[in-house]
Amino acid sequence: MLRALLRRALAALATLVGVLVVVFALLSAAPGDPAALALRDGARARPASPEAVAAFRAAYGLDRPAAVRLVSWVGRAARLDFGRSFRDGRPVAARIAETVPITLALNLAALLLALAAGVPLAAAAARRPGGAADRLSGLVADLFFSAPAFVTGTALLLVFGVRLGWTPVLAEPEEGLRGVALPIVTLGLAALAPVTRVVRACLLEALASPAALAAKARGEGEAAAVLRALRRSAVPLLALGASLVPQLVAGSVLVERLFAVPGTGQLLADSVFARDVPSVLGLTVVAGAAVVVASAVADGLSAVLDPRLAEGEREPGEAS
Amino acid sequence: MRARSRLLRLALPLLAAVLAAACGRVGKDQEAVINRRLEGEPRALNPLLATSDPENVVLALLSRNLLDYDEKLNLVPGLAASVESDPAHLVYTVKLRPGETWEDGSPVTADDVAYTLQAIVDPKTPALYRKSLFDAMEKAEVVDPLTARVTFSRPSVGQRDAFNLPLLPAKLYRGTDLTSNPRNRRPLANGPFRLADWEPGRLLRLVRNTQYFGERPAAEQVVFRVVPETASAFPSFRSGGLDEMRLTAALKAEVDASGGRQRSLVYDELAYTYIAWNNRLPFFDDARTRRALTMLIDRETIARTLYGGLARPANGPVPPGLWSHDASLPPWPYDPAKAAALLDEAGWRKGPDGLRSRAGKRFAFTLSIGAGSERQRQIVELVQRAYRDAGIEMDVRPMEWGAFTTAVDAGDYEACSLALNLDPNPDLAPNFRSTAVPPEGMNHMFYRDPKADALMDEIATTFDREKARALYAELQRVIHEDEPITFLHFVSVSWGVSDRIHHVETSPLGLFLFWPGGAGWTSGRGTAPL
Repeated sequence: MLRALLRRALAALATLVGVLVVVFALLSAAPGDPAALALRDGARARPASPEAVAAFRAAYGLDRPAAVRLVSWVGRAARLDFGRSFRDGRPVAARIAETVPITLALNLAALLLALAAGVPLAAAAARRPGGAADRLSGLVADLFFSAPAFVTGTALLLVFGVRLGWTPVLAEPEEGLRGVALPIVTLGLAALAPVTRVVRACLLEALASPAALAAKARGEGEAAAVLRALRRSAVPLLALGASLVPQLVAGSVLVERLFAVPGTGQLLADSVFARDVPSVLGLTVVAGAAVVVASAVADGLSAVLDPRLAEGEREPGEAS
Repeated sequence: MRARSRLLRLALPLLAAVLAAACGRVGKDQEAVINRRLEGEPRALNPLLATSDPENVVLALLSRNLLDYDEKLNLVPGLAASVESDPAHLVYTVKLRPGETWEDGSPVTADDVAYTLQAIVDPKTPALYRKSLFDAMEKAEVVDPLTARVTFSRPSVGQRDAFNLPLLPAKLYRGTDLTSNPRNRRPLANGPFRLADWEPGRLLRLVRNTQYFGERPAAEQVVFRVVPETASAFPSFRSGGLDEMRLTAALKAEVDASGGRQRSLVYDELAYTYIAWNNRLPFFDDARTRRALTMLIDRETIARTLYGGLARPANGPVPPGLWSHDASLPPWPYDPAKAAALLDEAGWRKGPDGLRSRAGKRFAFTLSIGAGSERQRQIVELVQRAYRDAGIEMDVRPMEWGAFTTAVDAGDYEACSLALNLDPNPDLAPNFRSTAVPPEGMNHMFYRDPKADALMDEIATTFDREKARALYAELQRVIHEDEPITFLHFVSVSWGVSDRIHHVETSPLGLFLFWPGGAGWTSGRGTAPL
């Protein structure tokens, strides 16, 4: 098992480095001098003097070849030093550290909401496949899945923020859950469809298993059967949770901008628009690491819940 | 079941801890708080480095200038009681008012003036807006704690405008790297407000500066909220979360139609939109051709339909908000027949395929635009259609903004569409003098006219306002005849303001970048204005 984990970690690291190289290459290949662009923030600004551009390039190491910069950056990133932001000169690690807890809380709450709403919906759907509850839950989930988060969010803020006045239009953490309800619900609704569909499929499979049929023959009630089936679905649910992380992280960019939430999504959007290379690279590492960690955690928990999976990871002939 | 409770034990405390950390601030009496919108977060709050609107509007409340503009763009005393020049207009004496202090109680001194000016002219300082204003500065000296003397190598009529200048505290900046000084995020105020709190990416909270030398502002707090998306900013404005925001024509119409808790204000911006023709290229080397290209565009209709009436055809490079604007000069009319005749005259004749060519070369070129503006895209499409009807092929090339500005700064384009925002100082030389071409200058269309050059040089040393006005009128006529670029529109800006905010004035600089601007606003039962 240890070797399998190590192999996975190495593969994840290689993927992360590959993504970094691609992002770095794309940013380097984009036309325009990043130093001149960084100094000229704002559409109205005039170009900076050659001396100022040269000073900026020297200060940020932009006068070195791209390959040298990349290697040097990766070396420092390994020590969690992502360099200084082109935009405001602050350490990128500090900028990211300010935003990560906010995005983490937002996404975690959205995921919990999706599970809280999606599991009962799926259970209702699985009880009568093709029935009214199944069709309705499928329709609702598909509707929110196909609508971009920006559209869902705008609709929610117009209804609940403006028309009904139940929540503030912009995220206001000072007001507790009410103040952050709209971005959480927007992200949660986007995750509702995959949760509902996966849980429904798992439940149908579990309810049709020989064990379930035997239990039914012994007189087990419907509710108990669904609960038992849910327990059997824990592993695919964890895998689903891990697979939702990239989707939620991507959705965060739009939702955070819409509701003015100062999370990593908004920071990423600002950094891309400003061609702030160190910040974009730092955020790429964090987002990549989030995906890797989420899937590793899901794998670990799956192995705990179902020891057969850990056994399956073992190499043929490997001693137990 | 055990697995589920294990998961909950992990997730819930984390969520609760983050939400709890985010909660807990008790609000001020909201009547005395003004909630303003920032379309982006300031990079820093260093007045010499500021280039974007979010930085400038926050700094306008934190820092007074040596001289401020009033709403009519007259220079009035700010930190300086006076800025006077010698008869030769080479030596300027800056006299500070006694009793002025920074927010920590230390005095504002002539040393701060001298240091700030020396920092501006330091080649390594990216003071993009200020540096060119002090190109001719030879030295800045301290005469006494309240008097500084600034010497220039040549007289310039716009030199006094350059003293619309905020100061840096020398004691905190001298000997440091200006661009990375930590004080750029914790500025020392000498204006009516000071920075109390900066939540990165979210808001900046300003409170009254108790050390401010002038009258205290009516508002106790000004909270700047970073709201990049208009889709959420406008609902927030309508429901009272924000007290002001820039409006599009459609949003203005909505505010005007509904009445109630908000109103809209309109001002003529110191700006014009234009299509630049690269005058070095054979397509655009003849004034008749350039005039024809302008006369093919129905700018009145564009102003009415795409700007919702918040624009008018431009007659040249000087907008109506500037004293040097020549209102008697009519814009080139929309006249496709006359334009066709001009093109024929310039040698661009229609072939059997309906396309124009000269000496075997087809009239076909590419117009570059910065991607992102829907209205600009629509304008360019209308222009493209009009040119196609006239036998001219124009391809449109949308470019990522950074790549676009790089190409424009280098003059590396055939035609491009842009807007230019101007200073109250109406000097046209940075954009139109033949020597101000790339890579150093901003005459990226490579306009060259000896008569225009001579007029700009004469204006630079004409200190008599009436004489200068006549010279500006002549210069505008020369540029109008040459039409080196197609002056599209003078644009008006619409701003929405909550009805609970009073004493709101507008100027050609907008609502904020003059004195008292936003510092004079009162809210609800706030006290009298500044």
